Amino acid sequence: MSSPPLLRLSGIGRVAAGRNVVAGLDLALDRGSALGLLGVNGAGKSTTLRMIAGVLAPTAGRIEIAGRDRRDDPHALGRLLGYLPEQVPLYGELCPEEYLVFCARLRGLGARQARRAADMAIERCGLGDVRGRLLGRLSKGFQQRAGIAQAIVHDPALLVLDEPASGLDPLQAANIRVLITELKAERAVILSTHLLPDVQACCDRVAILHRGRLRYDGPLESERGFLRVSVEAELDTDTWAKLPGVASAERSGNGWRVQLAPSATPGELASAIVSRGYGLVEFGREHAGLEEIFLRIAVEADVAEAA
Amino acid sequence: MRTLVLAGNDLRRFFVQPTPWVLLAALLALLAYFFLLSLDAYLRLMPKLAGLPDAPGVTDLVVLPSLRALASLLLIVVPLTGMRAIAGERQAGTLPLLIASGVGDVGLVLGKFLSLAVFFGVTVALALAIPLSLEWGTSLDLGRLGAAGLGLVLFAGALAAIALAVSSFAAQPLAAAGMALILDLALWMADAGARYEGVSSSFLNYLALPTHLEPFLHGVVASVDVVYFVLLAAVALALAARRVGALRGSG
Repeated sequence: MSSPPLLRLSGIGRVAAGRNVVAGLDLALDRGSALGLLGVNGAGKSTTLRMIAGVLAPTAGRIEIAGRDRRDDPHALGRLLGYLPEQVPLYGELCPEEYLVFCARLRGLGARQARRAADMAIERCGLGDVRGRLLGRLSKGFQQRAGIAQAIVHDPALLVLDEPASGLDPLQAANIRVLITELKAERAVILSTHLLPDVQACCDRVAILHRGRLRYDGPLESERGFLRVSVEAELDTDTWAKLPGVASAERSGNGWRVQLAPSATPGELASAIVSRGYGLVEFGREHAGLEEIFLRIAVEADVAEAA
Repeated sequence: MRTLVLAGNDLRRFFVQPTPWVLLAALLALLAYFFLLSLDAYLRLMPKLAGLPDAPGVTDLVVLPSLRALASLLLIVVPLTGMRAIAGERQAGTLPLLIASGVGDVGLVLGKFLSLAVFFGVTVALALAIPLSLEWGTSLDLGRLGAAGLGLVLFAGALAAIALAVSSFAAQPLAAAGMALILDLALWMADAGARYEGVSSSFLNYLALPTHLEPFLHGVVASVDVVYFVLLAAVALALAARRVGALRGSG
């Protein structure tokens, strides 16, 4: 028998004020993977994450963490789980060091252990320069990083991050993505966002929520077949189709969306374009597929509801 | 264990902020002023009192009024200090941090209560030091002062528990302070009408705070009064814990 997944949601739902905020949600997540929870505002992402974190009680279904029911042993589960809420939970009158030591001890670490854990989290989240300054006086970027440090300080197996990159500038957001990619190696990460690039950069699985229901749950891998290519030369669809390894090509924006034949490799196509002198400008993996899925789900649901 | 960590963090946060210090300083300054006024009045009365048999002493005429003044000041200061306990965490968005840590509803409320109790324990100790300074020049009834100290700590504890409970129901700290103040005053004056009519042993009398505080100030430690304060605090804390649980259910 295989061990239970680190996180398993079975049919969880939440009714608030007579409205289904989340309904019949099933998900499972294991160590070493990162799941991006995607959805428009009000889709139920935050509610789902709050239920996993134990801040909100589901009105239906079961949440199991490492095979244990969420309700059975909140004390032990607090140690297993790190949570960054949408509004970063900071005490403005403390400095990052004091704050992180407190968070670590609140999760059950001993005094000396907590100090070491806080030092590590400070280093990991790049808070070294501000470790002695008051959290309330820090910039939004530093506050967000302190929030992430708080979620990882006790080295939890499951990391629940609600919009980890919100309010960050592009450079900081990129740093956070690198950090999440590092973290997911030995943990399970579930993060919510309404930004596709966040998911593409650090998740290997995506779940799309719309109006409280799970509409899509699958690996990002399926997008691998498509490439995004732009060239200086004016080409038409037929010219593209004659290139080696190309199954189909269509215009998309100011470039082309190219699907490779099953046996072809991107390298072959690139060298073919270069050797023919088309002037290669851009060559990369196409992620628009995900965006299409996302938009289709949002639009379809709205049309179905209007009908 | 986590309850103690939570209480420790709350105390730390208390003392890195100006408000508790200002409240504590203002309370002690007012008390000292009141104490000096009573002392001055006593010194003027002393020649006349000296002739009387069984005359009231310095403990009755200076210490007792000061302690009563402290009780009245606590009625105002405790709600103002305790208002942020849970409402403040909700407003700052830090309540999810505490709940997600697995400290539990009861643990959370007890931790909060413990930090308030320590703060007011220190407050009462500092306030008692003012009348205690008379020990230099005269001899005080120290047993009576000790009983008064215990009574005031129990009194402050019950008020703190009420402030905490109200703070868990209110969304804003200031609303919590206002509500707690009104509740405290209602409990303080619950039997005012009954006493005016000369009734002193009704249920209303039992309900009122002064009925149980006065014996302590007169040096009488009765179990009924101890039980009253402990019961009041326990009911308020249980309500607060239930409310924190409900917050999780209702978002």
